Amino acid sequence: MEKSWLSKFLPNDEYKERKMVYFIAESAVILALLLVVFALINNYSLYGNSTTGTITLLALFFFIAYILVRYTLSGIEYTEVTTKTKYTKERKAILTRSIVSIILIVIFSIVIQGIPANLSESADIVGPAILIGIFTFFGNYTSLRKSYNKNRNLLDE
Amino acid sequence: MKNRIKVARAEKSYTQEQLAKKVNVTRQTIGLIEKGEYNPTLRLCLSIAKALDKTLDQLFWEE
Repeated sequence: MEKSWLSKFLPNDEYKERKMVYFIAESAVILALLLVVFALINNYSLYGNSTTGTITLLALFFFIAYILVRYTLSGIEYTEVTTKTKYTKERKAILTRSIVSIILIVIFSIVIQGIPANLSESADIVGPAILIGIFTFFGNYTSLRKSYNKNRNLLDE
Repeated sequence: MKNRIKVARAEKSYTQEQLAKKVNVTRQTIGLIEKGEYNPTLRLCLSIAKALDKTLDQLFWEE
């Protein structure tokens, strides 16, 4: 089994271990779906209060963020990037994707909220879009670097 | 996955439980492998082959 802190709590028998990992993962996915329902009920109904809804969303955010961070740091995303040329090409693609995502977010925000009337409203649209773009770029770039290093270490020559 | 573990185990006169103890898994896992309902890891395949004095080919190769 893979090295993970979870393996300390799993049975030694490999069949049992594999089954347990699936059960835990299934349970986590169902829990995440329940959190979505719970957040919707608490944020958009007359019952409950928004603090409960916010905490629920935070829990949901943690669930997604943990998987994303582990996936990024494990270097398993860019399995074919083994040369410097491929690495540079992929880095450019990541940069382009990030810029496109910023532009798309700005366009969607304008479509939903309307054309900004002043500088402050413009900043409210452009600011978060740039932040998301930067986050997307660095997330993908880290994943690429990790993948590249991992792939280089696994080459047979 | 089909295999010849059951026959090899009988040749050695091991019970499922005895083989399970030798390779450090449960009897249930051995039963599932013999029935072809669980694909063991290569590490476990090697342990079973060693415990039964067979090669991987003799136990797992499909002819």
